[in-house]
Amino acid sequence: MKTLREFGRMPIALTGPALAVLLIVFGIPIVQLFLISFNAPAFSIANYEAFFGPPANVRVLLQTIEISVVATAICLLIAYPTAYLIAAASKRLRMALIVLVLVPYLTSGLVRTYAWIVILGDGGLINNLLLDHGLISSPRPLIYNRMAVYIGMVHIMLPMMILPLVSVMMGIDKSLMSAARSMGARPSTAFWRVFFPLSMPGVRSGCLLVFVICLGFYITPAALGGLGDAMLSTFIASQVRSSFDMGRLAASAFVLLTVAIVMLAIVGLDLSGTSRRTVQPSLKSRHSLSPLFAMMKRFVGEFFIPYRAKRWMAQLYRAGGDSRWLQLVGVTFLVLVMCYLLFPELLVVIMSFSAGKYLEFPPSGFSLQWYRSFFGNPAWYAAAWTSTQVGVMVAILSTIVGTLAAVGLNRTLPHLRSFLTMVMLAPITFPVIIVGIATYLGLVKLGLLGSMTGIVLAHTIGAIGYVVVIVSASLANFDPQLEQAAMSMRAGPLQTFIRVTLPLIRPGIIGGAVFAFLHSFDEVVITSLVAGISMRTLPLKMWEDIRHQIDPTIAAVATLLILLPLFILMILFVTGWRSTLGLQRARPATAA
Amino acid sequence: MTLHRNINRLIAENKPSEQNKVSAQIEFRSVTKMYGEVCAVKELSLAVRRGEFLTILGPSGSGKTTALMMLAGFTAPTSGDILIAGKSVAAVPSYRRDQGIVFQGYALFPHLTVHRNLEFPLEMRGMKAAERAIQVDRMLERVHLKGFGGRMPSQLSGGQQQRVALSRALIADPPLLLLDEPLGALDRNLREQMQVEIKSLHREFGKTTICVTHDQEEALTLSDRIVVMRAGEIEQIDTPEALYDRPATRFAAEFLGEANFLEPPGFQAESDVAPPLGTVAMLRPERICVAERGAPRRVDADQRQFVCGIVEDMIYAGPLRKYQVRAGDSVVIVREHVAADQQIFRPGEEVRLNWLRSDVRFVAA
Repeated sequence: MKTLREFGRMPIALTGPALAVLLIVFGIPIVQLFLISFNAPAFSIANYEAFFGPPANVRVLLQTIEISVVATAICLLIAYPTAYLIAAASKRLRMALIVLVLVPYLTSGLVRTYAWIVILGDGGLINNLLLDHGLISSPRPLIYNRMAVYIGMVHIMLPMMILPLVSVMMGIDKSLMSAARSMGARPSTAFWRVFFPLSMPGVRSGCLLVFVICLGFYITPAALGGLGDAMLSTFIASQVRSSFDMGRLAASAFVLLTVAIVMLAIVGLDLSGTSRRTVQPSLKSRHSLSPLFAMMKRFVGEFFIPYRAKRWMAQLYRAGGDSRWLQLVGVTFLVLVMCYLLFPELLVVIMSFSAGKYLEFPPSGFSLQWYRSFFGNPAWYAAAWTSTQVGVMVAILSTIVGTLAAVGLNRTLPHLRSFLTMVMLAPITFPVIIVGIATYLGLVKLGLLGSMTGIVLAHTIGAIGYVVVIVSASLANFDPQLEQAAMSMRAGPLQTFIRVTLPLIRPGIIGGAVFAFLHSFDEVVITSLVAGISMRTLPLKMWEDIRHQIDPTIAAVATLLILLPLFILMILFVTGWRSTLGLQRARPATAA
Repeated sequence: MTLHRNINRLIAENKPSEQNKVSAQIEFRSVTKMYGEVCAVKELSLAVRRGEFLTILGPSGSGKTTALMMLAGFTAPTSGDILIAGKSVAAVPSYRRDQGIVFQGYALFPHLTVHRNLEFPLEMRGMKAAERAIQVDRMLERVHLKGFGGRMPSQLSGGQQQRVALSRALIADPPLLLLDEPLGALDRNLREQMQVEIKSLHREFGKTTICVTHDQEEALTLSDRIVVMRAGEIEQIDTPEALYDRPATRFAAEFLGEANFLEPPGFQAESDVAPPLGTVAMLRPERICVAERGAPRRVDADQRQFVCGIVEDMIYAGPLRKYQVRAGDSVVIVREHVAADQQIFRPGEEVRLNWLRSDVRFVAA
């Protein structure tokens, strides 16, 4: 009894509920999956031999890596200048741009994939426009090829690359660039020698995030790619549907997981090496195309240093680009990227109100017929109701469990904290199809397959990760001295938590709950595996319908899915989230 | 019989702190705190009298904050014991120790108004709302913040926040007040004002106060006694005057005020007395007089030591004039009060420094 009470007093115990849910629904099953893949207890590598046997399988594996690498590279190329321009913009413009990037980030990937089907499809927007103007005589094959896969994947992943980059770039002290220029560095030199190395952490985390999620991509390649563009996730999903040979399935899943981990290790090491290299200038010239050329350039450059050093004062407070032309290029680039990010969604919203019989753009008239068809169809609104119920339950469960875990993690030793955080984030960092299969296995054991409780648990394991991350972030800003102050005034641990800690991390908790709800409301891959025959959530029904027909009702559903996160965010903003955020911001000034 | 046993027990309980008698309110008994391999506080033994204002002074990393945090109950000692009013507090959590703390950044609750901040400790002690309001208003008036009760902490200036923090620590009338770098966040003028304010609050409330700081001026003006700490150990404990006038070690001399060390190899006084083994001769800059090289010898010349040197630098600092004089291999700092008919020496001029032999202190090297 006494030891139990002692344990209860330890902060690590607060992570108990979260770990228990994770372990039962996801942790134990994935270990079982691993054992199954080796035919335990007999232990053989027959399943892996079976995987690597047919050349087609190996081709799918290599293709998965290739598509992920290319998509990540394209994302980085577009996101880096975008993030730079956002970080350099004025404060108000920057906030507006970040919101514009957040909107697609919060919209479900399924809806955004659907938008590209509408745009690129044989009867889609582009082909229709070209046909109408007589530019082509028959529809061009814009969809079901590699190009479409890249367009869709980059579109979906771009916010995840831009956001970490912006946050790191905004943290870079601007006076460092000024300092470099005061010492005679040309603007481009200052950028490459000072700004770029300092932005590497953002590049690194953005690339890792995008790459790992790309590896597990399922919906987008399945919907936009041709038969030759199958990725490992698609392959595994088709295995699930056709045979359900657990051994084979487990082996494929662990091949995918191994690829993810190996590539992570390589990418991680390589990038950290680069950032270290830039610290040592002597090694830098080795990477130039021609050392001789670089040396000559540097020699000529020496003459201009005094001149530049004198001029830096005048240039110091001038905005980013010096020339009009550069500014114009920057603005054009930003506008194009924002169009790419937002136009597909906007298009779906506009078309959902069209009066025609098919999807058309521009719409021939305004009508609510597809919304009527949505609310008139019990299958649709039943699915919507199921999604809402599941979402609310997931939000409540994961917020409670995740907040406790975050508080516990905040008070444990750093080593243990980072390890446990990694464990809790596994369900959202592992390729989603693997999480789906493990969860399937776990729910079968619990006898909850095809039940609402089952779906709630399946969504909660991912939602906990979001809550932990967001609440941890607001706890990191929280001054632990405030708790000590409360304790010194005779407030017990519970009173301290309720009276001081909780009110101050409330924005984080609300944010976590919102993310948990949206995660559940948008989830389709795991749901498709564990929902069984009778349960249908809104995205699941939509995914099934997309694959079978292009019913304009889907546009109405998609619009609802787009507007929901916006609506929730707006409510939060109006009802005091802003004031609480303002309070948090005012605190550092208090401490100073 | 029972009475007899009780008395015996009382005597037994008081025995370890006998030399401090009943007046010792806080006692550290060879307290050690290890962070892994690093020893933050080493065998700290210290007794604080009731009503005393004790300052723990030391550079960062000297263990002073760790000592305070152990007293407050936020960290547990690795070994040793801490006694408050004669009782060990090892098993008492921080929220049951009766003490007021002023934190380094004040730690005012940013989501509560000034009034609610001050009310908090009273509420935790179960006081009724009406009575709390009276107490809070009285306290606000005492610290000249009447009418500020409705403000948020972020709407106050640094000095006002400091006063709220002090009032919040005092309002529930705890027997013990702990101050952690209380004036560190204030600018110079405000700091002097607040020193006066803290001094007067201490006189008025008579709390046993322990203050941790690295600011020597704060330590000198506020304290009854100062503990100089270095690398987790006590270097010296004394009253401010004694500590300044008779530092025990070179470290204490340097940390509290400026000091010249007259070291034999580089420094040859005209008539020198060899310092005892393991010590070094120390002289405060304001004890040294500057005179022209050829100036007539003073009447008390037989009690003085003389050294010739060249002025390297002269700094005028309001009421003071500071000379940097090179004598042989050493540089001597001299501080002189500015007076009307004073001779001023320019860099490059030769001077003769002299001081009373009795002003030289021998401190452990």
